Amino acid sequence: MQSSIRHLALVAAASMVLAACGKNEPPPAPPPPAPAAVPAPPPPPAGVTLSSVSLGKAVGADKKVSASTEAFAKGDTIHASIDTTGAGTATVMAKWSFSKDGKTVSVKEESATLNATGPATTEFHISKPDGWPAGDYQVEILVDGKSAATKSFKVQ
Amino acid sequence: MSDMPDFSNVNSGSSSTAEKIYEVKAGDSLSKIAKNEYGDASKWRQIFEANQDILKDPNKIFPGQKLKIPPLS
Repeated sequence: MQSSIRHLALVAAASMVLAACGKNEPPPAPPPPAPAAVPAPPPPPAGVTLSSVSLGKAVGADKKVSASTEAFAKGDTIHASIDTTGAGTATVMAKWSFSKDGKTVSVKEESATLNATGPATTEFHISKPDGWPAGDYQVEILVDGKSAATKSFKVQ
Repeated sequence: MSDMPDFSNVNSGSSSTAEKIYEVKAGDSLSKIAKNEYGDASKWRQIFEANQDILKDPNKIFPGQKLKIPPLS
């Protein structure tokens, strides 16, 4: 009988200790450490950028002018050959203009949206059925709306 | 009164060694686009073949569609 009482007392004491332990819950685990800084990704490719412009009276299958010139005759078709580097989609525009006595008038604007995968050559051309008026002309090349190059030429 | 020349009849065009993207306008057909892009209306099939992911019928193109214009091979 005494042994049973002692046993019960032991169980009760153990329960109290366990209950007391339950009240003292361990502090919440600290938040996991911040992940180590990930190295910055490489900068995106610069996209399509203009590398050169040349003018001529004809272009080959490679879209490059066969003979570069800045002097044209009345009946010529005028070509601007534009070399670009880089990959991506870009809109290239040629703005042709004529200047006389300090005044400038637009001749023509033509744009092409390119899906370049690397270096490319794009040609723009203009012609006028009744011939070009003699004088000073200019072509401005824009890439995605930003002026990238300007070339002047004459019709004699 | 302006003494500047009239440039309203100037013709223009472009071509590239890169693939071009062309947005279809009302009244376009593949042969018309091929004429403008390649100078040859009979090259329309090249444009059709480059766009078979979006074109099922060469006679059905719609304004706003963006077509790939491959460089002439």
